[in-house]
Amino acid sequence: MKTVGVRIPAGLRVVAALAGIAFGAASASPQPITTIRVATHYNAEQFAPMRACFREYEAQHPGIRIVHSQISYQDYLQTVLIARAGKSPVDIYSLYSIWAPQLIGTGALDVPPADIARFVRAGYAPATIDAATMKGHLWGIPTEVSVYQLVYNKVLFAAAGIHAPPRTLDDLARTAAAITRKNRQGNILVGGFAFDLSGANVTHTFYSEMYAAGVAPYTADMRHTNLRKPAAAMILGKQVDLFRRGVTSNSVLAGDFAGGGIGMAVMANWMKDTLRTSLGSRFEATVGVAPIPSDGRGGTMIYSFFWGVDAASRVKRPAWDLLRWLNSPRGKDGGLSCTGAMLDGMGDLTGNRSDLAAMRASIADPFSQQYVAALRAPGAVSQPNIWHASEADRVLKYYIELAWSGRMSPAAALAAADTDITAILSEQP
Amino acid sequence: MIAWLTSKRGAPYLFMAPVFVFAVFLFVGPLLFAATISFTDWEGVTAPRWVGLHNYTYLLIHDGFFLTSVWNTLVFAAGSVIVGVPLALIAAALISQSRYQSVWRTIYWLPMITNIVAVAYIWRYILNDTSGLLNRTLDVFGLGGPDWLTSTSTAMLSVIMVASWMSIGQNVLVFLSGLAEIDESYYEAARLDGANPLQLFWHVTIPLLRPTIVFVLITSLINALSAFVLMLILTEGGPARSTTVTGLYLYDMAFTDLRLGRASAAAYILFALIFVISLVQLRLLRRGSVEGA
Repeated sequence: MKTVGVRIPAGLRVVAALAGIAFGAASASPQPITTIRVATHYNAEQFAPMRACFREYEAQHPGIRIVHSQISYQDYLQTVLIARAGKSPVDIYSLYSIWAPQLIGTGALDVPPADIARFVRAGYAPATIDAATMKGHLWGIPTEVSVYQLVYNKVLFAAAGIHAPPRTLDDLARTAAAITRKNRQGNILVGGFAFDLSGANVTHTFYSEMYAAGVAPYTADMRHTNLRKPAAAMILGKQVDLFRRGVTSNSVLAGDFAGGGIGMAVMANWMKDTLRTSLGSRFEATVGVAPIPSDGRGGTMIYSFFWGVDAASRVKRPAWDLLRWLNSPRGKDGGLSCTGAMLDGMGDLTGNRSDLAAMRASIADPFSQQYVAALRAPGAVSQPNIWHASEADRVLKYYIELAWSGRMSPAAALAAADTDITAILSEQP
Repeated sequence: MIAWLTSKRGAPYLFMAPVFVFAVFLFVGPLLFAATISFTDWEGVTAPRWVGLHNYTYLLIHDGFFLTSVWNTLVFAAGSVIVGVPLALIAAALISQSRYQSVWRTIYWLPMITNIVAVAYIWRYILNDTSGLLNRTLDVFGLGGPDWLTSTSTAMLSVIMVASWMSIGQNVLVFLSGLAEIDESYYEAARLDGANPLQLFWHVTIPLLRPTIVFVLITSLINALSAFVLMLILTEGGPARSTTVTGLYLYDMAFTDLRLGRASAAAYILFALIFVISLVQLRLLRRGSVEGA
């Protein structure tokens, strides 16, 4: 973006000095100020460790000023695109990988310099590098990585006489039925399993189950779907069975977990912080984590964020240097990087190997260990960065919900979703 | 020029100029802009690309949901008019007979001045399937409690109920002013002929209130056809898009997917629909009402 030269005319300085106005260091050595603007979806509390790092970097690099702005996660991509159209882009973005195709399509992202690319390839898990790689180029430095697993309520399991989490989709249905309790009106008080209609939970659960079955939801060229494959219809059919059996409903929400309202749900690792806060000392005794139940080879979906730099930034090199510093171990004995410290504070995982090593203590609990194991397992696959991914997810969610409600058969719903999504994918350049 | 503007012929135009400028920049301009981009694939970032009628044909022929959204819009509009307008009329008739009219007017007006977000959240709690006030009350009487907001069978009905509740205050006020215009002598004459209160309402009030009824019907229908904020907050258009009306669908198209060209085409189709329905409604209802009043 912009380099602002704060040069005070000599005449004005004389006048100011005569007037007794203290100009401070700026007037004594009129150094150009380089402002680097950073946009993330993290709120002020979550971003606090990074702010401290920014101040430290500014102290180490006089002449650099770092400004952070928060953009709502919901509107992030739109805000970035509109800001660019208005010729006021920021310099550094924290990007959900599925936003990248549209940004790359409009030429919004800078390709990292060779030294940054080497830094990433040497220090990050391959799955997170894949998530930040499109059209043969790496587009940034991976940050937060989320992976899905089955989270279950050990207390409800014990009360129902169940001692192990389900391994197959049929097991899941049986276990859910044993846990479910209803009121006399027939409405579910304790749901055996919860899908969550909000956000991307419906599609992410479905994708995770597809990966666990060994079938990717999209073809490798990302121009077609695999939703017409028998495995996809089988998975959706098993979901529909949960509704038919009355062990879940649209009003049973994953957010009811801490309150004992659900037995199981597919959740990402970042729910740890929320559950730990809600359950307090009961966290470990209540929350269990297991692989995604599947009749296939097993696996799950990963989704990632990465730091990227705007192609129109006027401070690209300083921005990449800042990012490298923010993602490098701090201290001689390899402590957490600034990004790692922020993610650790939120209970998140990272693709940064040295951060993951430095997080050893905070991810030693059974909850995190299961997620780390899932992340390292070969069946964990990055969410494909398809064209207009959010729109495609909403289309798929619509048809999945139609199947749940019994208004379409699973196969017909997925065939219709395939038609609509393929039309979206065919638009990509 | 200045002389002309200050003359008797020019002065009116001078005084009208602010309104004219306002209309051009904030009404006519955006309308023409939207019409133009409805023939492009503009996403708000790169230069628009002319696609002719593609957006219109896509929406009407290929889009898997657009026509369903139009159907949802019609169901919502018809439902909220059929439920809301008679309720408002009955409430107004009762209030006009009561002693504390201003108190009742205030009570019925309250939903109109309450923030729609607050209204939606309160109704979400009331309509919750297990802990909501409505189902708890039904349970006391041994009745079943539907899954009001999250079942595809009842979600639209719930939205219609809430929308009718919200609009009742405004319509009550309009009906009350219409009722106040009816001369008491009509009722006295009818009473002398032996009419009971129900007959008075049906044979005197309704015919004489017809212009007001037509006005309320048309404005309520137009409001309902273009409504979407309530659904956005109350149900987010779900489940399975069963409460996604065209307004909400095109809002997502424009501001979530940045398909501004296609969203503009959808807006023009919705505009055409509202225009035709309003025209038909006006033609059907105005005989003996607006013209006859």
